[in-house]
Amino acid sequence: MKRTKNDMHAWSARLILLLLIGPALAFASEPTPGQAQSGSLLWRMAQGYTTATLMNTDVDMQISGLVARVSVRQEFHNEGNEWVEGIYVFPLPENAAVDRMRLHVGDRFIEGEIQEKEHAKKTYEQARQAGKKASLVQQQRPNLFTTSVANVAPGERVVVEIEYLEDIRYENGRFSIRFPMTLTPRYISGQPLADKVGNGWSPDTDRVADASLITPPMVSASRGHRLTLTANINAGAPLATVTSRYHPVSVSEENGHYRVTLSAGQVAMDHDFELDWKPVPSAVPRALVFTETIEGQPHHLLMVMPPDQGEAPPVLMPREVIIIIDTSGSMHGVSIAEAKRAVHLALKSLQAVDRFNVIEFNSSTTALYPASVAASPSNIANAVNFVQQLRANGGTEMRPALELALSSKTEESHLRQIVFVTDGSVGYEDEMFSMIEDKLGSARLFTVGIGSAPNSWFMRKAAEAGRGSYTFISALHEVREKMEGLFRKLEHPQVTDIVVQWPSSVAVDSYPQTIPDLYLGEPVTVKTRASGEFRANDTVRISGNFVTGGWSKVLPLELREESEGIAALWARARIAELMEAERRGGDSDGLRASIVETALAHHLVSRYTSLVAVDKTPVRPASDPLSSEQLPNLMPYGQSTNAIFGFPATATNAPMLRMTGAACLLAALLLFAALRAGRRSHHARLA
Amino acid sequence: MPASRSAAGRWLVACLLCLGFWQLGTGAYIPAKAWLAQELMQRAWLRAGRDVERPAPWPWADTWPVARLRSDSREVDLIILAGGSGRTLAFGPGHLSASALPGEIGNTVIAGHRDTHFRFLRGVEQGELLSIESAKGQKHVYKVLGAHVVDSRKGSLVLDTDAAMLTLVTCYPFEAREPGGPLRYIVTAKMLF
Repeated sequence: MKRTKNDMHAWSARLILLLLIGPALAFASEPTPGQAQSGSLLWRMAQGYTTATLMNTDVDMQISGLVARVSVRQEFHNEGNEWVEGIYVFPLPENAAVDRMRLHVGDRFIEGEIQEKEHAKKTYEQARQAGKKASLVQQQRPNLFTTSVANVAPGERVVVEIEYLEDIRYENGRFSIRFPMTLTPRYISGQPLADKVGNGWSPDTDRVADASLITPPMVSASRGHRLTLTANINAGAPLATVTSRYHPVSVSEENGHYRVTLSAGQVAMDHDFELDWKPVPSAVPRALVFTETIEGQPHHLLMVMPPDQGEAPPVLMPREVIIIIDTSGSMHGVSIAEAKRAVHLALKSLQAVDRFNVIEFNSSTTALYPASVAASPSNIANAVNFVQQLRANGGTEMRPALELALSSKTEESHLRQIVFVTDGSVGYEDEMFSMIEDKLGSARLFTVGIGSAPNSWFMRKAAEAGRGSYTFISALHEVREKMEGLFRKLEHPQVTDIVVQWPSSVAVDSYPQTIPDLYLGEPVTVKTRASGEFRANDTVRISGNFVTGGWSKVLPLELREESEGIAALWARARIAELMEAERRGGDSDGLRASIVETALAHHLVSRYTSLVAVDKTPVRPASDPLSSEQLPNLMPYGQSTNAIFGFPATATNAPMLRMTGAACLLAALLLFAALRAGRRSHHARLA
Repeated sequence: MPASRSAAGRWLVACLLCLGFWQLGTGAYIPAKAWLAQELMQRAWLRAGRDVERPAPWPWADTWPVARLRSDSREVDLIILAGGSGRTLAFGPGHLSASALPGEIGNTVIAGHRDTHFRFLRGVEQGELLSIESAKGQKHVYKVLGAHVVDSRKGSLVLDTDAAMLTLVTCYPFEAREPGGPLRYIVTAKMLF
């Protein structure tokens, strides 16, 4: 009897202990951002869609000189028990020339054909309805594409392989290439329209007519969305460094060929990949000419570095720096921290003669000062405080903020520079480019793209329209380095009035048609098609002006390297320029015809042309239905799962817990009673 | 033999007791936390405007009060937090970051748990008045236009509205025990002043 009592004491002690730590354990299992649990804001709409089809990606980059050929293999795995059509919206670099698509079925593949957009869509729809395997790649924005793949059998894996060419960015003696993996959800505004063309979460609106095509569902976690990547760099010269900015990689070298692979094997598709490489100082190129001849027409890619002005004294012209910071909901998380640090550095870089202002915007726009003020220590301290208190919240209405910065009264003596810090996650990009061009005047606009997946096309084009340059910041630790690079550009003289003179013996069609002013460390890059072969001793002359005087360089055209893809890149540059003309209100029918003609000739996907592949034999029995699934994208890394909008999960499991708790206690009581009864009968028998 | 069987039985009883109390404790802890957090935040709210602009309700909070929602007829007085993450919603209704701020043109979307803060929504009727005090201290009154149930897998919320609108979102049905269902109960209101 005594022993039993001791036991009871021990039991109650254990019980009390458990009661005490129980809630603590429950607290520890509180959902954290990034975990998809009840109570966390999760796009359940997306979750519902994701159950059947998984998507993984395999990327292979072949880099040679200034050109990269990238193959992206998208694997769709239907885990459900119905036939599906998978639709996946994905980003590519904004200058990608997508020229190949293959639909892999088992060991075979079907080569994609380039067709006019409507035609391609029809071809695909017919195949889809006839139960044939088919795939379609369409462009929604220069940096946003959609793959559709029809009639994937239950349990089947289908691979759609897309290839594109891209020119490598070269700046300050450093080459770089970027591969985007996901998109920051776009802010869509305007009045909803009655019809919806796509499957996205947003309705189409009068301001963003294709909103439903560029707003795929977003998920914070996924069993798919894994990416493997290999890059081969044929530099032709020994490299001093090969670095991946955001993903650990391993690099091996053999005979000047560098091979880069992800150390982790595969990574989650939630953060842009960026690879940088730098030749040893003696091999840093000052000029490069690549060529590809198609049907007797040589295409050239020309890159020339102006003389290095890095050591030249900074311009002493006083500046008026207007800093615009995006504090919309999509900046929530790591992005706003990066943005604040960047703005802080920009404020600290101001000189006593400068003037400045800070403008923040989300749904509404707030300027720190009614007009720019002198960069006095107290004004700067005030601005630093203002920025420190900013929080990311609300919509992305950038137009009023940009208008305010561009149209405020300016001091004649000051050079106005606008530093625009944003993730560019808007759906009305074109509208912004036109507004910037209209109101720019003598000001210059510099974009700073923030976050794990900024809208690269917006950053680049806005800077182009604003005659400035663009910078990407995708990690906190690189804010200082990147911003210092930008400050050097702001402070050093530009090269202006750049002219490229081709020999007069043949006609040339050259892009960009007007060469933009160059900032420190930027090269002149031109793509040209000539109507016939150049003569042996023909030369091309590049000239421009510094504040301090003129500069020119003459390059012999025979010293050139053959390179595959130059013609396609030229065509891509031509299409970009035609699209620009169309946006500016040019003859849209004529321009459209020119774009279609160029795209078809070079097998390129554009706004008006798509790649389509159809397998000959029907595979889906007519009696089986086909369901359509919009595949989600991963939320960019560091962006709070408190997603941009949608329906949060709004129930706790308290009622459930209370019920199971009561059930356990009841079961314990019944069992206890049964045991007592059993023991009593046992004692009785002993007696 | 019977002795070892009864020992096993005792273990089982103890385990069931522990499990039961644990579940009950956690079940009681969730509403208790929801209530306590609101008490703390009311204090933080009263502090607002005096010292810092947006005081954190507790030292390690990653959210902050953005508005105060009241219904005099229903004795509801809730502090609305920034963001709609699960962590935030445990403490109070959350204002979805991308939606308009209270009092602004556009749709202000606030989500709350059906079994704690937003339980009162099931009784809210057309024509009722709700008031919202923004962080800057402005008071706005909204009139309820109606309530309806939507499937979150199919619909989406329109954020860009002509007028200043208020949308309160919670899970549906109210009596359901398991969290994570697709249905949402939506109360819409329009700003009067």
